[in-house]
Amino acid sequence: MKKSRTEITNERAKFLLSAYRHNGADAQDPIFREALEQAARDPDLATWFANQRSFDALIAEKLNSVQPPASLKPAILSGLYSAPSKHRSIFSWLPALAAVLVLSGILLTVTHQGSESDRPSLSQYQSAAFAVLSEGTAPKLDLLTSDLSRSQEYLSEKAAPRAPEVPAALRELQTVGCRAIDWNGKMISLTCFLLPSGELLHLFVIDAKTVGKISPQPGIREINGWHVELRREHGMLLMFVSKAPMPELVKYI
Amino acid sequence: MTRDLDLEAIVGRFYAPLYRFALSLTKSEAEAADLTQQTFLILAQRSYQIRDVSKVKCWLFTTLRREFLRGVRAHTSHPHVEFQPDIHDAPALAEDPLRSLDAKAVVNALASIEPTYRTAVELFYLSELSYKEIAETLDIPIGTVMSRLSRGKEQLKALLARTIVENSRKIIPMNRDEEVAN
Repeated sequence: MKKSRTEITNERAKFLLSAYRHNGADAQDPIFREALEQAARDPDLATWFANQRSFDALIAEKLNSVQPPASLKPAILSGLYSAPSKHRSIFSWLPALAAVLVLSGILLTVTHQGSESDRPSLSQYQSAAFAVLSEGTAPKLDLLTSDLSRSQEYLSEKAAPRAPEVPAALRELQTVGCRAIDWNGKMISLTCFLLPSGELLHLFVIDAKTVGKISPQPGIREINGWHVELRREHGMLLMFVSKAPMPELVKYI
Repeated sequence: MTRDLDLEAIVGRFYAPLYRFALSLTKSEAEAADLTQQTFLILAQRSYQIRDVSKVKCWLFTTLRREFLRGVRAHTSHPHVEFQPDIHDAPALAEDPLRSLDAKAVVNALASIEPTYRTAVELFYLSELSYKEIAETLDIPIGTVMSRLSRGKEQLKALLARTIVENSRKIIPMNRDEEVAN
């Protein structure tokens, strides 16, 4: 009778101990106390329990060896800072708004050869682009992918402009993803690259005709903590924006 | 326990296990990344709703699973797997052959557990949630969690044993002539 009672108890103990975490996090949970005491008394159960924990540890180790893509964490963080909190105070937007206004004003110093009526377009474009970045540390993206060609396909599907030529060094980097921005009926594309330092490099592209005739001055400018370079290539206006250190940036754009 | 959430710290701590859980649900790296990001976006938008910081982990896994189930992916990514539900005494697995299996084989075995039991087992291994937290995440009684873990793990052992046997059959013995020639 005693053996039968022990077997039944062992079955119950196995049932309970199947939920016991191999790292011992449940050691103080009273629901396991009797089962653990039984395992201490019964060699068969003790062997089963040791095997079970060993099995659990090995399975967890195997499964945890699967690593997320390197671009995932920056992408998540970029999304977090652009996600509006329903409890966010209007005052929390003021610094971002101020930054947009300051950046817009400074960027207008780019040589502009269009008519007076063209100028607001460039200003508004720059404001729109920087507003996307000023919402947080990085923008929210439509598509998360480490593959530049997938980003380019997506942008094409969305009829968003693409850079005619992405610098060769930049093409070697992983992307975080991209976004097609409908700006008053004009499409802007944004592609984010992950630099080796972990900083993001944002590439905005728009049809240059949309913002008038401009001749961007060559070189990277430092504006309010951002490094910015404007280029006009094959009818497209490219704007590179990043907080990465200048020496790193020049290697890629 | 109520305080402002440190979102960056939360991302740093939980994005990898959440991604793995998402991957086990979607079977697609791209969809898993998307689902993980979506979960944190919801956290950012609704962080004011979380009163107890210690519940964040459970909240994240619950939300990720809910978002997954909300989509049509729930239907397509949970193929029905024929399985004998009455397997109790799964073979004891020797650690060496088990250790020789790669992560993909374990992921595949996990994915082949009967759907009723699978999510509890996935949460147990991938999130290291306690049985109470799994019950909360899946919104089921504690006894049901224990039952699903017990049965699910037995199925996992049986599936892995089958995989090990199949792998051993793939090892082709060396041809005797070749052996001599070498």
